[in-house]
Amino acid sequence: MANRPTLHVTPWTAALMAILVMLAVLFLTPTVGVLLSSIKTTRAIAMGDLWSIPGELFLGNYAEVLWNPAVHRYFVNTLIVTVPATAASTALGVLAGYVFAKLPFRGGGILFLAIVAGMFFPPQVILVPLFRLFNGLGLIDTLWPIFLVHTALGIPICTLLMRNFFATVPDALREAAILEGASEWQVLTRVAIPLGLPALAVLATLQFTWIWNDFLWPLIFTQSDEKRTIMIGIVNLKGQYTVAWGVQGALSLIASLPTLVIFLFFQRYFIKGMTMGAVKG
Amino acid sequence: MARVTLENIRKSFGSVEVIRDVSLDIERGEFMVFVGPSGCGKSTMLRLISGLEDVSGGAIRIGGRDVTGVAPSKRRLAMVFQSYALFPHLDVAGNIGFGLALARTPAAEIERRVRDVAERLGIADLLARMPRQLSGGERQRVAIGRAIIRDPEVFLFDEPLSNLDAALRVRMRLEIARLHKALDGVTMIYVTHDQTEAMTLADRIAVINQGRIEQVGTPMELYHHPANTFVAGFIGAPAMNFLDGSVDDSGAVTFAGITIMPRQPVSHRGRATIGVRPESLRLAGTGEADLVARLDHIEPLGAETLLHFDTPLTVRVNEAVPATEGDTLGLVVDRTRIHVFPP
Amino acid sequence: MERENRFWRVVLLVLPLSVFAVFVVWPLFSSFWYSFTDWNGFDPNYAFVGFDNFVRIWTDRLFYGAIVNTALWMVAAILLPTLLGLALALLLDRQIRGARIFKTIFYLPICLSAIVVGQIWTWIYQPDWGLLNAVISFVAGEPFTHAWLARPGSALWSVIVAWSWQQTGLSMVIYLAGLTAIPSDLLEVCDIEGASPWQRIRRVVVPLLIPSTIVVIALSVINSLKGFDILYIMTGGGPFHSSDTLAMHMYNESFKKYLMGYGSAISVVLFLIALVIIGFYFRQLKRLDEIYG
Repeated sequence: MANRPTLHVTPWTAALMAILVMLAVLFLTPTVGVLLSSIKTTRAIAMGDLWSIPGELFLGNYAEVLWNPAVHRYFVNTLIVTVPATAASTALGVLAGYVFAKLPFRGGGILFLAIVAGMFFPPQVILVPLFRLFNGLGLIDTLWPIFLVHTALGIPICTLLMRNFFATVPDALREAAILEGASEWQVLTRVAIPLGLPALAVLATLQFTWIWNDFLWPLIFTQSDEKRTIMIGIVNLKGQYTVAWGVQGALSLIASLPTLVIFLFFQRYFIKGMTMGAVKG
Repeated sequence: MARVTLENIRKSFGSVEVIRDVSLDIERGEFMVFVGPSGCGKSTMLRLISGLEDVSGGAIRIGGRDVTGVAPSKRRLAMVFQSYALFPHLDVAGNIGFGLALARTPAAEIERRVRDVAERLGIADLLARMPRQLSGGERQRVAIGRAIIRDPEVFLFDEPLSNLDAALRVRMRLEIARLHKALDGVTMIYVTHDQTEAMTLADRIAVINQGRIEQVGTPMELYHHPANTFVAGFIGAPAMNFLDGSVDDSGAVTFAGITIMPRQPVSHRGRATIGVRPESLRLAGTGEADLVARLDHIEPLGAETLLHFDTPLTVRVNEAVPATEGDTLGLVVDRTRIHVFPP
Repeated sequence: MERENRFWRVVLLVLPLSVFAVFVVWPLFSSFWYSFTDWNGFDPNYAFVGFDNFVRIWTDRLFYGAIVNTALWMVAAILLPTLLGLALALLLDRQIRGARIFKTIFYLPICLSAIVVGQIWTWIYQPDWGLLNAVISFVAGEPFTHAWLARPGSALWSVIVAWSWQQTGLSMVIYLAGLTAIPSDLLEVCDIEGASPWQRIRRVVVPLLIPSTIVVIALSVINSLKGFDILYIMTGGGPFHSSDTLAMHMYNESFKKYLMGYGSAISVVLFLIALVIIGFYFRQLKRLDEIYG
């Protein structure tokens, strides 16, 4: 860091700052737009008044959304899917990643690559067979397929990240633990996982965000409004409140709240996960 | 209590044979050092004894019991790793007591024994520290503490000093020697590539090269009676000088233009490699020179001086040298200290 | 030891591998099978139709449109966020007041769902009160306003802009990570050699960012191949299929028209495209490994 350009106030710095501020405003505008819409009446928006700073705070849209039992259901459904699927995919990634990092075996490299390659495929490729599978099991229009598919599709990224993390844990630690009488399971639970908590935090925030924000799988696997998740809910309510833009805005914001909060609190972990997953093939 | 016996040990990784038919008896309470260049298989031998690696053939006995297929933790041994392998997420007490906690020892007993061990090693005031807050020497003591708390019969050290700076290395070397005295009857097996460590610590040294034991013996045996040029060149610093020569039928040794009758009889006849240690040569007085050579470079080390000649020969002298680089000097060979090896 | 290792390998891998096999690998291979059938999604009786579906792809004009759009979408959706992300990273890689806040602002959209992003941008493009038209009519006058998402010519591009807005933060952080990994002494060499700031970026920094670039591009390719949600909510592939991508087209055929056999055939093509890209990606990674260790 020592030799990164340090800036004193010069015309060049001022210009740079101006460019950055402009870009930042440009980047923030869409988000601010939603924020504004959510505190304005539909009438005001239709009058073309969306982009002005409101004189008063109109909370009717939020009330509308928050008292809507359908929204409650969407939220509960999303949580029911997201939390267990995050936990399950992370756990499976820990198991597989540990083996690939610490118990290497002949053919393990190929198997690992095959699993990681799963990360790159468009999910549409497995859409039809999965639909038929869950249809045959009578699970269409339940939350089970969403949980199962997210757990399975999370395995590549979780395995990749955990393997890369466990690879940084010195082999000598595992061997020392084994000489002290630890079984492989105890090495995993007493040494590897405690050391891997930061990596686990990274993974969990990533997985949570992706699963929470997902749209495709609930769209395919659920049909009745009782089983819809929040992202589908936004689209559904769009039909119900066709021109109630303010309500839609409020709903979008509320639906993004969990991931926003996680992002703002775990920003460091989140970014680390993104770059970790990306940089190490 | 625990004699360690290796019987025809072999180990291959794929088609690469790293240990080739090694047999060795390590006595109870003995301090055995495996020494050799990197990649010679010495660490693998240690890992085979510990059970972290399976042998491809042969048997290992500890205290008379065949442990060849036995799990590492059931072999009654402890190991100190090169990196110390302290668990970064546990404090010193947690590290020392790790094995006891795994064995579901009552907390009070763990604490008592941890404290006991820590006091013996002089680290009782560090028990609440995390490993990253410790100095190199302290880490080493914690690693030793974790090893001795389990009352092992055999102690394995895998290059434990190579991560330390020179001054600390000498101090910790002494500590390990003291530890060996204090732990009566505990067998120690110590791996190093540093022959000084081997010489100063060992009861016996096994010199290993390319997966084989070249020679086993006390440090002085290896120094005075190296079995072959590899051992001769590896033990002793600076390394022994090797010169081409021959032995005639009477046993007289000819090399570097001189013929000498060694004090000890030599059995080898014909062409030979002649070994002369740097300390077995001295500068000649008037008229007594065995050979003359041109001085290339002088390395004054304080207590001693190393003279490098162009022959090439290295000579170690204690006194100040009245010569400068480029001079031609006469040298005298100590006739009692000539080593003769097959070419 | 090896015996124990073998045991634990099996124990620890059995669960992840079987879940992965059942819900990812097996469906992948079944897709190949369905692509040779006329299954409609419900009827238990369906027929093996050989290469009919693939022949049909050959003559499907919508498929061509979708492939062209996918290619367009991928190129634009790669270039825009990558270049913008690189520019932002270069601007922000210095000790600057509020750098953290800027980073957060640029990165924030990545944690929003495609649905919410689509929603937000639908409003920006809204013909009557959307911000874009408001700005245009203010600057250039009413006649220059445009129904951005409702016209075949602009729909896809409008979505690409929204997509780039969301993805730029990702390439920015990857580039920032790459920049911090550049050893300071290399930059000091530039100072000693008297390189101008521009030369320093052009000749030292950007070449050293090649590994990051490969990663960014690979990620963009992957993400854009998956690009479905945002199109679904913003245009639904319309108007007149002008913004259909392969993923969108496959969804429509399978789940709107219930031509699951045909949809599978499209997904097989999608799979093959992905395979080529992955193969290329892994090869690049291997080469980079050799160059950069």
